[in-house]
Amino acid sequence: VRLLRYIVSEDCGRMINPNVVEGQIAGGVVQGIGGALLEELAYDADGNPVATTFMDYLLPTAADVPVIEYGHVETAPGPGPGGYKGVGEGGAIGAPPAVVNAVADALAPFGVTITRVPLTPAAIIALLDEVRA
Amino acid sequence: VKSAAFEYHAPARAEEITELLGELGDGAKVIAGGQSLVPMMALRLAVFDHLVDIRNVSGLRGIEGRNGNWKSGAAEHSAAEHGAAEHSARHGWSVWIGAGTTQAAIGGSDLVAKAVPLLARATPLIGHFQIRNRGTIGGSLAHAEAAAEYPAVALALGATVEALSPRGQRSIPVAEFFTGIWSTALEADELLTGVTFPVWGGAGGGCGFAVEEFARRPVDFALAGAAVAVELSGLDGSGGSRIRRCGIGLIGLGPTPLRASAAEASVTGTAAGDAGSAARAKEIGATAMAELDSVPSDLHGPAKYRKRVGAAMVATAWQRAVKEAVNQEAASA
Repeated sequence: VRLLRYIVSEDCGRMINPNVVEGQIAGGVVQGIGGALLEELAYDADGNPVATTFMDYLLPTAADVPVIEYGHVETAPGPGPGGYKGVGEGGAIGAPPAVVNAVADALAPFGVTITRVPLTPAAIIALLDEVRA
Repeated sequence: VKSAAFEYHAPARAEEITELLGELGDGAKVIAGGQSLVPMMALRLAVFDHLVDIRNVSGLRGIEGRNGNWKSGAAEHSAAEHGAAEHSARHGWSVWIGAGTTQAAIGGSDLVAKAVPLLARATPLIGHFQIRNRGTIGGSLAHAEAAAEYPAVALALGATVEALSPRGQRSIPVAEFFTGIWSTALEADELLTGVTFPVWGGAGGGCGFAVEEFARRPVDFALAGAAVAVELSGLDGSGGSRIRRCGIGLIGLGPTPLRASAAEASVTGTAAGDAGSAARAKEIGATAMAELDSVPSDLHGPAKYRKRVGAAMVATAWQRAVKEAVNQEAASA
């Protein structure tokens, strides 16, 4: 899976510092992409964790994600002081469904249904093999 | 993640290293850059009482073009420099690379780029540039990681490893060098001092080289890959050409670095035009995978998947290499 473009919008009320807002969103998005494509808490048949180092537990780095494009939306002011709203988690919440649905859309012509993450290359090939069999 | 305690030695002469290895026995390990060894020790996958570093031995570094008794060193006056098309300039030449030569130095060498293009092209695929700044070719070969690039390149090109021990120097063809998981033909007191790559193309045919690999992330261990070298016979009267010889090194597809001998044999001597077709490339990929009996299976991909990727890597690299060889031959005709 290669992500060609990633666009994300958030509403955090009035932005105090846009740099911090974009940093928060970027961090969350990358974490979400990792969850969708790379990160896997795998265990062997005896229950031993097998992804115990960062050689096996794969996290996306800056080099593994596309340039993230931001849209800033301000709807109604939030309930807190100054009308500010939180911005900590949005990126991470939206990324997995966005990425998984993009893959699902790409695989739709084959009749593939995605039921689990991460969507590793081997997992995607296995899904394709299943519907072809 | 800290290594168990060890003693560190860094002699200035290769002979001192082999003496030390003889004295210290199994508890000692040569360190030649440490880009695999140190992480393994830090994770305690490996424990050694002594590390013997080759970094102070200047004679173990360098890249030289060689032809018989001729040598060309720093100035790199190798005949190979005169251009790929002039086969007489390549005949009989080889390139010697000292064991302690860093991957970065190899990647930056004009001589390597011209005389051993496959090695030059494989180099950027090794880890990050920080790793290539310290990692060495001797370390990479002696570590014998099945998913590493240099062992596959050495196998494909038919390189020769040289080893020094208190009993003297000997040469080991790379085909006989890798003996098991992270194991080589080196004796306990033997030091890998250098490796010699033959310069392909000396007999007049076009040559082509390609390396392909696939990893979860660009710098991870390859799930599967292939390094391919092709040499053609030279154009005959009717403007056709045949595969004179070829080498296919496999990456990450067994317990050791492997050579796809059956696939090579299946195509050697056949017409270049046909050998370079997509259908033929696919067959060669399939033949290369059919030989394999212990493809690794792990979290990142089951054996079946790796074989599938491996077949595609062999086919892609094969087609690119043949195309380059054919184009080179056409250009020099």
